[in-house]
Amino acid sequence: MNELKIDTSALNMIAAWHLSGVNILVEQMPIIGGYAGSVEETAICDIATTLASFAVMNADIHLGGPIHIRWGTTTNRQSLQVASHTAMAMDTNTDVLLANQYYTMADSCTEMNILEISAQAMCDTVTGRELLSGVASSKGVKTNMVSGMEARALGDASMATCGMDPAEVNDIVNRILRRYENDYANPPKGKTFSQCYDVNSIEPTQEYLDLYSSASEILAECGLYY
Amino acid sequence: MAAKRYVDVFEMYNRCVVGDRISEEDWDYNIIPHNAALMKQRYDISFGNRIIPNDQDMVDRLFVAGVDMLLTSGIYNKATGTRMLITEDELYEGLKMAPRKLQLGSGKDSIVCSQRRGNSINKPIIEGGPTGAPLTEDLYIPIIESYAQEPAVDTIVSGVLRTVKGSAAEKNTPWEIRGALAELSYTREALYNAGRPGMAI
Repeated sequence: MNELKIDTSALNMIAAWHLSGVNILVEQMPIIGGYAGSVEETAICDIATTLASFAVMNADIHLGGPIHIRWGTTTNRQSLQVASHTAMAMDTNTDVLLANQYYTMADSCTEMNILEISAQAMCDTVTGRELLSGVASSKGVKTNMVSGMEARALGDASMATCGMDPAEVNDIVNRILRRYENDYANPPKGKTFSQCYDVNSIEPTQEYLDLYSSASEILAECGLYY
Repeated sequence: MAAKRYVDVFEMYNRCVVGDRISEEDWDYNIIPHNAALMKQRYDISFGNRIIPNDQDMVDRLFVAGVDMLLTSGIYNKATGTRMLITEDELYEGLKMAPRKLQLGSGKDSIVCSQRRGNSINKPIIEGGPTGAPLTEDLYIPIIESYAQEPAVDTIVSGVLRTVKGSAAEKNTPWEIRGALAELSYTREALYNAGRPGMAI
C-alpha cells in the first residue's frame, strides 16, 4: 500500500482474514525519491499510509520499509532517516504496533552486510518499533543469498541497543554508516547459503563465524557492544 | 462530529465505489507530490542531518502532517479508479480498534508482541527469515531451519520459492497458489526440525 494507493484484490484478502480472526499485517514500502519526493515528504506519506492501515484496513500490525529509489535498500542513510522519524512520530502519538523489514545492499557472509543490519536494527529499536523482520541480503534478489546468521546480527544489535540514549544511538549509527555508505556501487561479494553453512548440520562455516567476530569488533569501535 | 463507527474494509470498498474518479497518473504525479510538499511546508518539517530525531515538537508536527496528508488526500483504489475519504473522527475511531498486543505462535514457542514505547529495555520481536528473497526447493527447509534455531529469533518470515516441483511459481497462475502452500508446508517442517514447532510464521 505505497503512497496511499491500493487495489480491490488486496481488500478482498483483508476481508477474508478479518472475518477469519487471524492477525493482519499490512505492508508498505514507501519509495524515497519516488512520487512523494524527498525524505520529509516520504515520511509524511509513510505516516499517512500507516495510519490508514489501522484506520480502514483492519491492520493489527504495520510493516514498513522505506526503500531508496536508486539503491533499493532499507539500510541507506535516507531510509534510516525516514524509518526513524516515522516510527518516533507514530510511537509517541499512537498505541499501534510497528514493524520494519531489512533489505541490505551487500551479500550475506560479508562484514558490510552485518554493519548494514546493525545500523538499521539500532534505529528501529531506539525509535520504539515492536517487530524487526529480516534479512533479505543483496536487496532480496539473489537466490539463496540468505542465512540465519543475518538474523543473529539483527537480534544482537537490537538487544544491545535496548535502553540506550537516542542521541548516543544517532552518533553510533552515523559512525557505522560511514563504514559502508561509500560502497553501494561496489558491494563486496558474499556467499550463498550452501557456501557459508554446512547444509546437513545447519551450522555456519568457521569463515562466517570469524567474519561475524570481526564485524562485531568494527561495531564495538563504532560504540555498539554485544 | 463524532464518528458513527470505525471504517472497516467493507465500508472502505463501498466508499471507493462512489468516490471521486481520478486517473492513476493524476494521483501519482500531481496529488501525492503536491499534498506531500504542501504538508512539509505547512508544518515546517525538516530532518536536517539527523537520523534519530531529537526534536519532539517537530516529531509531533510530523505526525499531524501525516494525519493531514491522509485526510486531505484519501486513499486511491487502482481497480475502481476512485479515491475514498475518511474524517478525522473516523481515523481516531479506527485507531482505537488497533490491538496493543498480539499473541504470535502457539504453545511454548508462542510469544506476545506488545507495545515498547520509546527505547524500552524490552527487545523487539525478531522475525527471522529471508523476507521474500528467492529460494530454491532443495535448500528451502535448511535455510528456514537456520533461522529457527537462532535463540534471538522469535518468529519466522518466509522466503519465496522460485519453483514448485520444477515448475516456475509465477504470479497469477495455479503454481503461485501451490508455491505459497508449499512454502508454508516447508516452513512448518523446518520449525519442527529446529525443535520449535509452535513458532509463528
